[in-house]
Amino acid sequence: MRIIDTDVHESFSSLTDLVPYLPEPYKSWIAAGAWRGFSQPFAYTSPGNGNRADVRSADGSASVSDYSVMRAQLLDPYNLTYAVLTGYFYPTGLKLQYGLATALARAYNDYVVEHWISKDKRFIGSIQINARDPEAAAREIDRMAAHPQMRQVMLPVVDDIAYGHPMYKPIFVAAERNRLMVAFHHTTFAQGPYGMGLHYMERHCLIPISLMPQVISLIANGVFDSYPNLRFMILEGGFSWLPHVMWRMDREYRQGRVEVPWIKKLPSQHCRERLRLSTQPTEDISSGDWMKLIDLMGTDDILVFSTDYPHFDFDDPNAAIPKAIPEATREKIIWKNAANFYELDMHDKTIPNQAAE
Amino acid sequence: MAKHIVCRFDELDVGKITPAKIGRTPIIVSKLPSGQVRAMGGRCPHQGAGLEHGCISGRTESEAPNELAFCDYGETLRCPWHGFEFSLIDGRSVVPGTGHLPMKLRLFDVEVEGDDVVVTI
Ligand code: FES
Repeated sequence: MRIIDTDVHESFSSLTDLVPYLPEPYKSWIAAGAWRGFSQPFAYTSPGNGNRADVRSADGSASVSDYSVMRAQLLDPYNLTYAVLTGYFYPTGLKLQYGLATALARAYNDYVVEHWISKDKRFIGSIQINARDPEAAAREIDRMAAHPQMRQVMLPVVDDIAYGHPMYKPIFVAAERNRLMVAFHHTTFAQGPYGMGLHYMERHCLIPISLMPQVISLIANGVFDSYPNLRFMILEGGFSWLPHVMWRMDREYRQGRVEVPWIKKLPSQHCRERLRLSTQPTEDISSGDWMKLIDLMGTDDILVFSTDYPHFDFDDPNAAIPKAIPEATREKIIWKNAANFYELDMHDKTIPNQAAE
Repeated sequence: MAKHIVCRFDELDVGKITPAKIGRTPIIVSKLPSGQVRAMGGRCPHQGAGLEHGCISGRTESEAPNELAFCDYGETLRCPWHGFEFSLIDGRSVVPGTGHLPMKLRLFDVEVEGDDVVVTI
């Protein structure tokens, strides 16, 4: 079965890897250690400190920045048809120095193209931006969209942005203009309504609660209606909450449409048509519960598989989606839904690792 | 029943994972603080991670939030991926599994014969 992994985290080994791609004065700043980069405000508790403990280079050192390790552990053994690179360095996390943040996003995109995307045709790229400066973000989207493997814009979920706000319009306009899709992923800053909680375990449980409001914000503020060619991907944010959000939004829309008449469809219909949710971490539910949830969503078009490699809560492609799920639905989760999302058959007719040599 | 020499006894240590193979099947071997030897299947019963990359440590216990006690060093294995904890005393998951999620390590019969660690299956 062909397989698309929709959430794979490439990385650099240190912030200074970006120095060659930065303009002055930021180049000198980063080279001199003026900023040490984002650090998470908590300690990881898993054996590999946030990554799989077996992600190691040949010399035994922990490595999440090495294409050859990823290839040997993920791309080849699981025979992935495509892997969507989603990063985990999100300059939108900087709440000041927007010029620096925009330059870092640009440098990171160039770094990823050179050190990751150009090495493997199976990679699909995400354009990183500084969302806090939407006009600059739109220019970066226009610049990077020319790369044939770039298929989406990444919008990181931080603690103070709901992306339906009208100020982010230039980003969606640019994405649509360039036939790109839009993905959302949590960050080390994402929070629940009362913060991160007091424990890593608590913070990790709260991640879906930082993604749900993005769906509500996008639909309530007309993003789905204004940009009919965009599709929206929620990564690593859970999926069992979607029936509730669809029912709740439909009810609220019926009773409160008078306030938001720019919404032209039932929110649940918008979700079924153009919202996709990645499956990792799969929460260990039974195959029967998978099918109940899909039934409640009203379609098996929504879920897309992801591993989250190299992070500790990785989902194994052979184990995470129960084999007892009906074959046609399982194939949709593992391949078809994401293939349709990224229009893979329209962009190129050849599946890279099935092409004749 | 067949006997398999899987490693030497002096390769083992408390808190150390020694990977070995029986045929093509990966196993891991470790020594408990009591001196007993444990040999178990090398794949995690959850999603199949290679347990040779996990860690053997102690267990945290607490009756009050934010007060952790650390006990029984060498008797708990944590998986290298999701960090589930397994007791090396009985192979069970510290947090019990559920019906569709059997959470138990496969423990093999193991003896020390001279310098050799011998598994019988
Ligand atoms: S694979 Fe071992 S805990 Fe999940």
